[in-house]
Order: sequence, then structure tokens, then C-alpha cells
Amino acid sequence: MAASFASRCSRVGRSLFGGLNNSSPGLFTMSHEMTCSNYFSQQQRTFIQMRTVLKVVDNSGAKKVMCIHALSGKRGARLGDMIKASVKEAHPNGKVKKGATVFAVVVRAAMPKGRCDGSEVKFDDNAVVLVDKQGQPIGTRVFGPVPHELRQKKHVKILTLAGHIA
Amino acid sequence: MRLEKCWFCSSTVYPGHGIQFVRNDAKIFRFCRSKCHKNFKMKRNPRKVKWTKAYRRVHGKDMTQDSTFEFERKRNRPERYDRNLAENVLKAIPKIDKIRVSREESHHKNRMKGKKLKDQKEDIKEYNNSIHIIKAPAVLKNEIKVVVSQQQPEENRAMEE
Repeated sequence: MAASFASRCSRVGRSLFGGLNNSSPGLFTMSHEMTCSNYFSQQQRTFIQMRTVLKVVDNSGAKKVMCIHALSGKRGARLGDMIKASVKEAHPNGKVKKGATVFAVVVRAAMPKGRCDGSEVKFDDNAVVLVDKQGQPIGTRVFGPVPHELRQKKHVKILTLAGHIA
Repeated sequence: MRLEKCWFCSSTVYPGHGIQFVRNDAKIFRFCRSKCHKNFKMKRNPRKVKWTKAYRRVHGKDMTQDSTFEFERKRNRPERYDRNLAENVLKAIPKIDKIRVSREESHHKNRMKGKKLKDQKEDIKEYNNSIHIIKAPAVLKNEIKVVVSQQQPEENRAMEE
């Protein structure tokens, strides 16, 4: 009798503790997941719009430009679109000086862009190549990968200058 | 038309599916679905995630070296169209597939060889170690001999199977 009573007691105790244990890991896991999602969630990438700072990936002399006007699209420019930009940083003796207003083509964008077959493509950063008003590149070299969609946008010259086409 | 492989899970990416990420050094990462893309963004190693092909290959779960895999290969030069060749290839594809499936089955069978015996041993061990949870040891002292003597012939029969 005594043994059975003890076992029953222990069972009750276990169930109580078990209930506690069950609840507490649940809480912990929830908080853990939340921190994880915060930690791993990347920046929400959006259109290239006014005041977006972009890297310049040619040898025109500019290093960084700031978008002051997207020439196409209601909400801003995307991969392959033309923008108007002001030069924020430039090499001391390049073709383009700091403060100049230039036209540029977005050759890399971190925001995913749909391809003609329905898949999507995205890049590491936002980068541009400076061009004149007619769309001819100012520099003579293009660094890094460039999407093949530029061909449809009639920027074949940039494609020929680029080393890698993605 | 080219069928690419997903960078994370090594499944086939059909045209129009998934997303591709181009790193600044022009390396292209293709993903078959958002699941793989998210896992990539979390910087997970596909060799350490159990459901990927890479994990299964590393841990000997799947067949890795076989002559049937050599038919599926990346070729950068387009083959000149030849009607007879195309016909033969189309005939050969199901045959090769059949061979591959049978070999994979035999690999799996070989891998699972000792599993039944092992499971039975573990079950017996668990029974012997934790029978006292269900029945008090004092009661079992009389019963247990009977139970064991009844069970043993059954186990033997199962082993023989």
C-alpha cells in the first residue's frame, strides 16, 4: 500500500513539474525564435528613389552618386532603369567632378527583379554606370557582374564593356 | 533551355521558378524555392541541414558514385541535331532511369541491413530495464519468469525471419 501511495504521489508531482516544464520551454522557444528572426531578417529592399546613394562601377571618376530623380517608373527606378544623380564622392582627377549632375543606368539592384521567364534575380548592392543623355557610357570600363536585361533596355555598350554577364 | 541545380538542396530548378542571387564576384546562387533562399540568407550550411542532398551525400545516405550519374552532366557546347541520335537518347533515358532506381533501392537495402535486429535488441533492452514502471517489482518477481519464457520463442521466431 505504502509503495503504491508513494508512486502515485510521485506521478502527481511529475505531472505537475512536467506541466511547468512544458510551459517554460514553450516561452523560451518563442522568445528565441523572435530574436532569431530579428537577427537574421535582412533589410527590406525597395526601389531606387530620391536620395538613394549608389556605388559607381566604372572608371568615370565618380565613386558615389545620389539619386535625385528616377526617369522611369512611378515609384522609383529598378534594375536597368535610367536615373538622374548628383555626384557625392569622386576621384581627384577623373572625368566627373563632385557636385556634377549626371545620368546613370542602374546595373545592379538589391531589390529582386522579375525576369522574362518568371524567375527573379537580385544582386549584392545598388550600383550604377554613368552615361550621357543619349545613353553612351562616360567611362571605358565596367566592373563586376551586369544583368543581360540591359540588352532589352538598349544599353549594349555597357554589356560589351562588362566582364561578367549574369 | 537549361535545367539548373538549386544551390542549397541540389534539386532541379525549372525555367521560371525560384530566385537567383548574383554576388559581387559574379558567382550565381540559384534557389528552387523561397525555403532554400531563406536558409541561404540564414547562412546555413547545406551539408549540415538534414533534408538537403548535400547532407545525404556526405553522410552516406544516398548512392554517390555510380556510372548512371555520368549521363547527366553540364555541357557548354550545344550538340548538333541528329535525328537518329535523338531517337536513341530518348529510348535510353527510361532504361537508364530504371537502372538507377534499382541501384538506389539496393543501396538503401544494403544500408538498412542490420536495422531490424538492432531495433529488436533495443526493444528487449527497454522492456527489461523499464518494466518496473508499469508493474511493481514485488509483483513481477513471480510473474517475470513466466513472461520471459513466453516471449523468448516469439523473439527467436522473429529473428529467424
